[in-house]
Amino acid sequence: MKSEVKISDNRLQITRVFDAPRVRVFAAWKERDLLQSWTGCKDTTKVEIEMDFRVGGSFTQKMLIKGAGECLIKGQYDEIIEPEKIAYHVDMGPISTRVVVEFVEQGSQTKVILTQDGLPDETLRKIVSQGTTEALDKLDEMLVRQAA
Amino acid sequence: MFSALADPTRRRIVERLSERGESRVTALAKPFRISLPAISRHLKVLEDARLIKRQRHGREHLIRPHPAGVQAAQKWMAHYVAGWESGFDALDELLKGDLSKERKR
Repeated sequence: MKSEVKISDNRLQITRVFDAPRVRVFAAWKERDLLQSWTGCKDTTKVEIEMDFRVGGSFTQKMLIKGAGECLIKGQYDEIIEPEKIAYHVDMGPISTRVVVEFVEQGSQTKVILTQDGLPDETLRKIVSQGTTEALDKLDEMLVRQAA
Repeated sequence: MFSALADPTRRRIVERLSERGESRVTALAKPFRISLPAISRHLKVLEDARLIKRQRHGREHLIRPHPAGVQAAQKWMAHYVAGWESGFDALDELLKGDLSKERKR
Protein backbone atom coordinates (compact mmCIF):
# COMPACT_ATOMS: atom_id res chain seq x y z
CA MET A 1 0.00 0.00 0.00
CA LYS A 2 1.45 3.31 -1.10
CA SER A 3 -0.85 5.37 1.05
CA GLU A 4 -0.91 5.81 4.78
CA VAL A 5 -4.27 4.77 6.16
CA LYS A 6 -5.66 5.78 9.53
CA ILE A 7 -8.98 4.67 10.91
CA SER A 8 -10.33 6.33 14.00
CA ASP A 9 -13.83 6.42 15.33
CA ASN A 10 -16.13 7.21 12.43
CA ARG A 11 -13.35 8.55 10.27
CA LEU A 12 -11.06 7.28 7.59
CA GLN A 13 -7.93 9.16 6.61
CA ILE A 14 -5.81 8.29 3.59
CA THR A 15 -2.58 10.17 2.97
CA ARG A 16 -0.58 9.88 -0.22
CA VAL A 17 2.29 11.85 -1.72
CA PHE A 18 2.15 12.54 -5.44
CA ASP A 19 5.23 13.41 -7.43
CA ALA A 20 3.74 16.52 -8.99
CA PRO A 21 3.26 20.18 -8.05
CA ARG A 22 0.17 21.11 -6.10
CA VAL A 23 -1.57 23.02 -8.91
CA ARG A 24 -1.38 19.95 -11.11
CA VAL A 25 -2.71 17.58 -8.46
CA PHE A 26 -5.52 19.98 -7.65
CA ALA A 27 -6.40 20.19 -11.35
CA ALA A 28 -6.88 16.42 -11.40
CA TRP A 29 -9.84 16.95 -9.03
CA LYS A 30 -11.06 20.18 -10.58
CA GLU A 31 -11.03 19.42 -14.30
CA ARG A 32 -13.77 17.04 -15.34
CA ASP A 33 -11.80 15.28 -18.08
CA LEU A 34 -8.87 14.67 -15.77
CA LEU A 35 -11.04 13.50 -12.88
CA GLN A 36 -12.90 11.18 -15.19
CA SER A 37 -9.67 9.55 -16.29
CA TRP A 38 -8.59 8.35 -12.85
CA THR A 39 -11.76 8.01 -10.78
CA GLY A 40 -13.02 4.54 -9.94
CA CYS A 41 -11.39 1.28 -8.99
CA LYS A 42 -9.89 -1.38 -11.21
CA ASP A 43 -13.29 -2.93 -11.99
CA THR A 44 -14.71 0.35 -13.25
CA THR A 45 -15.04 0.18 -17.03
CA LYS A 46 -16.64 3.53 -17.76
CA VAL A 47 -17.03 6.79 -15.85
CA GLU A 48 -19.23 9.71 -16.79
CA ILE A 49 -18.98 12.75 -14.60
CA GLU A 50 -21.06 15.87 -14.54
CA MET A 51 -19.86 18.52 -12.15
CA ASP A 52 -20.37 22.12 -11.24
CA PHE A 53 -17.11 22.87 -9.50
CA ARG A 54 -18.06 25.68 -7.13
CA VAL A 55 -19.28 25.89 -3.53
CA GLY A 56 -22.85 24.59 -3.49
CA GLY A 57 -22.39 23.03 -6.91
CA SER A 58 -23.51 19.46 -7.50
CA PHE A 59 -21.85 16.54 -9.15
CA THR A 60 -22.92 13.15 -10.40
CA GLN A 61 -20.73 10.22 -11.31
CA LYS A 62 -22.16 7.47 -13.40
CA MET A 63 -19.98 4.39 -13.39
CA LEU A 64 -20.09 1.07 -15.11
CA ILE A 65 -18.62 -1.61 -12.92
CA LYS A 66 -17.65 -5.05 -14.07
CA GLY A 67 -20.01 -7.53 -12.49
CA ALA A 68 -22.04 -4.90 -10.65
CA GLY A 69 -23.68 -2.88 -13.41
CA GLU A 70 -24.30 0.82 -13.27
CA CYS A 71 -23.82 2.90 -10.19
CA LEU A 72 -24.80 6.53 -9.71
CA ILE A 73 -23.21 8.75 -7.10
CA LYS A 74 -24.54 12.20 -6.28
CA GLY A 75 -22.89 14.83 -4.19
CA GLN A 76 -22.33 18.49 -3.57
CA TYR A 77 -19.27 20.68 -3.02
CA ASP A 78 -19.24 22.31 0.40
CA GLU A 79 -15.96 24.17 0.32
CA ILE A 80 -13.33 24.93 -2.28
CA ILE A 81 -10.07 26.72 -1.54
CA GLU A 82 -7.94 26.54 -4.64
CA PRO A 83 -5.42 24.90 -4.65
CA GLU A 84 -5.50 23.84 -0.98
CA LYS A 85 -8.74 22.15 -0.12
CA ILE A 86 -11.93 20.60 -1.46
CA ALA A 87 -14.77 19.48 0.80
CA TYR A 88 -17.85 17.69 -0.45
CA HIS A 89 -20.53 15.33 0.70
CA VAL A 90 -22.08 12.33 -0.98
CA ASP A 91 -25.61 11.13 -0.34
CA MET A 92 -26.48 7.51 -0.84
CA GLY A 93 -29.98 6.91 0.38
CA PRO A 94 -29.86 6.96 4.16
CA ILE A 95 -26.12 7.48 4.24
CA SER A 96 -24.38 10.79 3.94
CA THR A 97 -20.64 10.87 4.05
CA ARG A 98 -18.43 13.92 4.10
CA VAL A 99 -15.04 14.04 2.41
CA VAL A 100 -12.33 16.64 2.87
CA VAL A 101 -9.35 16.59 0.51
CA GLU A 102 -6.34 18.69 1.48
CA PHE A 103 -3.42 19.42 -0.82
CA VAL A 104 -0.14 20.18 0.98
CA GLU A 105 2.95 21.39 -0.88
CA GLN A 106 6.12 19.41 -0.14
CA GLY A 107 8.84 20.87 -2.35
CA SER A 108 8.09 19.64 -5.85
CA GLN A 109 5.69 17.03 -4.47
CA THR A 110 2.17 17.23 -3.13
CA LYS A 111 0.73 15.44 -0.14
CA VAL A 112 -2.96 14.66 -0.44
CA ILE A 113 -4.82 14.07 2.82
CA LEU A 114 -8.25 12.62 2.28
CA THR A 115 -10.46 12.52 5.35
CA GLN A 116 -13.83 10.84 5.21
CA ASP A 117 -16.35 11.24 8.01
CA GLY A 118 -19.72 9.68 8.59
CA LEU A 119 -18.79 6.20 7.53
CA PRO A 120 -21.96 4.20 7.73
CA ASP A 121 -21.14 2.44 10.97
CA GLU A 122 -24.71 1.89 12.01
CA THR A 123 -25.94 0.83 8.58
CA LEU A 124 -23.06 -1.55 8.20
CA ARG A 125 -23.71 -3.04 11.60
CA LYS A 126 -27.36 -3.64 10.72
CA ILE A 127 -26.48 -5.28 7.43
CA VAL A 128 -23.92 -7.53 9.05
CA SER A 129 -26.29 -8.50 11.83
CA GLN A 130 -28.82 -9.56 9.21
CA GLY A 131 -26.11 -11.57 7.52
CA THR A 132 -26.94 -10.19 4.11
CA THR A 133 -23.51 -10.09 2.63
CA GLU A 134 -25.01 -9.38 -0.77
CA ALA A 135 -26.28 -6.02 0.41
CA LEU A 136 -22.94 -5.39 2.03
CA ASP A 137 -21.19 -6.02 -1.27
CA LYS A 138 -23.59 -3.65 -2.94
CA LEU A 139 -22.87 -0.94 -0.39
CA ASP A 140 -19.23 -1.71 -0.84
CA GLU A 141 -19.52 -1.26 -4.61
CA MET A 142 -21.26 2.05 -4.11
CA LEU A 143 -18.83 3.45 -1.59
CA VAL A 144 -15.63 2.27 -3.21
CA ARG A 145 -16.42 4.20 -6.31
CA GLN A 146 -16.94 7.62 -4.92
CA ALA A 147 -14.09 9.93 -5.60
CA ALA A 148 -14.65 13.44 -6.77
CA MET B 1 -18.59 -1.23 14.01
CA PHE B 2 -15.79 1.15 13.16
CA SER B 3 -16.31 3.08 16.35
CA ALA B 4 -16.16 -0.24 18.19
CA LEU B 5 -12.78 -0.89 16.58
CA ALA B 6 -11.61 2.68 16.92
CA ASP B 7 -10.37 2.12 20.46
CA PRO B 8 -6.85 0.61 20.57
CA THR B 9 -7.64 -1.57 23.59
CA ARG B 10 -10.67 -3.04 21.83
CA ARG B 11 -8.64 -3.67 18.69
CA ARG B 12 -6.06 -5.51 20.78
CA ILE B 13 -8.79 -7.53 22.47
CA VAL B 14 -10.13 -8.59 19.05
CA GLU B 15 -6.62 -9.38 17.82
CA ARG B 16 -5.80 -11.40 20.94
CA LEU B 17 -9.08 -13.22 20.64
CA SER B 18 -8.48 -14.15 17.02
CA GLU B 19 -5.08 -15.60 18.01
CA ARG B 20 -6.35 -17.50 21.04
CA GLY B 21 -9.82 -18.48 19.94
CA GLU B 22 -12.28 -18.94 22.79
CA SER B 23 -11.06 -17.35 26.01
CA ARG B 24 -12.16 -16.67 29.54
CA VAL B 25 -12.67 -13.01 30.35
CA THR B 26 -10.01 -13.16 33.07
CA ALA B 27 -7.43 -14.71 30.70
CA LEU B 28 -8.30 -12.19 28.04
CA ALA B 29 -7.88 -9.29 30.44
CA LYS B 30 -4.46 -10.38 31.71
CA PRO B 31 -2.09 -8.40 29.42
CA PHE B 32 -4.10 -5.20 29.76
CA ARG B 33 -3.31 -2.91 32.64
CA ILE B 34 -6.90 -2.03 33.26
CA SER B 35 -9.52 -3.25 35.69
CA LEU B 36 -11.85 -6.14 35.00
CA PRO B 37 -14.93 -3.87 34.95
CA ALA B 38 -13.19 -1.72 32.34
CA ILE B 39 -12.50 -4.81 30.23
CA SER B 40 -16.14 -5.81 30.64
CA ARG B 41 -17.23 -2.45 29.27
CA HIS B 42 -15.02 -2.91 26.22
CA LEU B 43 -16.39 -6.42 25.72
CA LYS B 44 -19.93 -5.09 25.87
CA VAL B 45 -19.18 -2.61 23.06
CA LEU B 46 -17.61 -5.38 20.97
CA GLU B 47 -20.54 -7.66 21.68
CA ASP B 48 -23.05 -4.97 20.62
CA ALA B 49 -21.11 -4.46 17.41
CA ARG B 50 -21.31 -8.24 16.83
CA LEU B 51 -17.56 -8.55 16.74
CA ILE B 52 -17.47 -11.06 19.59
CA LYS B 53 -19.77 -13.67 21.06
CA ARG B 54 -20.22 -14.31 24.75
CA GLN B 55 -21.28 -17.55 26.37
CA ARG B 56 -22.10 -17.87 30.01
CA HIS B 57 -21.19 -20.99 31.97
CA GLY B 58 -22.34 -20.18 35.48
CA ARG B 59 -20.09 -17.42 36.72
CA GLU B 60 -17.59 -17.95 33.95
CA HIS B 61 -17.94 -15.97 30.75
CA LEU B 62 -16.38 -17.37 27.60
CA ILE B 63 -15.61 -15.00 24.77
CA ARG B 64 -15.28 -15.99 21.15
CA PRO B 65 -14.67 -13.91 18.05
CA HIS B 66 -17.76 -13.41 15.90
CA PRO B 67 -16.27 -14.45 12.56
CA ALA B 68 -18.92 -12.95 10.31
CA GLY B 69 -18.71 -9.56 11.97
CA VAL B 70 -14.93 -9.31 12.08
CA GLN B 71 -14.50 -10.55 8.52
CA ALA B 72 -17.20 -8.29 7.16
CA ALA B 73 -15.66 -5.24 8.81
CA GLN B 74 -12.16 -6.09 7.63
CA LYS B 75 -13.30 -7.01 4.13
CA TRP B 76 -15.37 -3.91 3.72
CA MET B 77 -12.64 -1.62 4.97
CA ALA B 78 -10.00 -3.32 2.84
CA HIS B 79 -12.19 -3.00 -0.26
CA TYR B 80 -13.01 0.55 0.49
CA VAL B 81 -9.42 1.63 0.99
CA ALA B 82 -8.37 -0.43 -2.06
CA GLY B 83 -10.90 1.51 -4.13
CA TRP B 84 -9.29 4.82 -3.25
CA GLU B 85 -5.85 3.30 -3.63
CA SER B 86 -6.49 2.08 -7.16
CA GLY B 87 -7.90 5.48 -8.10
CA PHE B 88 -4.80 7.10 -6.63
CA ASP B 89 -2.57 4.74 -8.64
CA ALA B 90 -4.32 5.92 -11.79
CA LEU B 91 -3.92 9.53 -10.69
CA ASP B 92 -0.25 8.90 -10.07
CA GLU B 93 0.15 7.60 -13.63
CA LEU B 94 -1.82 10.52 -14.99
CA LEU B 95 0.42 13.02 -13.22
CA LYS B 96 3.57 11.27 -14.42
CA GLY B 97 2.21 11.38 -17.98
CA ASP B 98 1.55 15.10 -17.76
CA LEU B 99 5.05 15.67 -16.54
CA SER B 100 6.76 13.67 -19.33
CA LYS B 101 4.69 15.51 -21.94
CA GLU B 102 5.88 18.77 -20.53
CA ARG B 103 9.50 17.65 -20.58
CA LYS B 104 9.24 16.73 -24.24
CA ARG B 105 8.10 20.22 -25.15
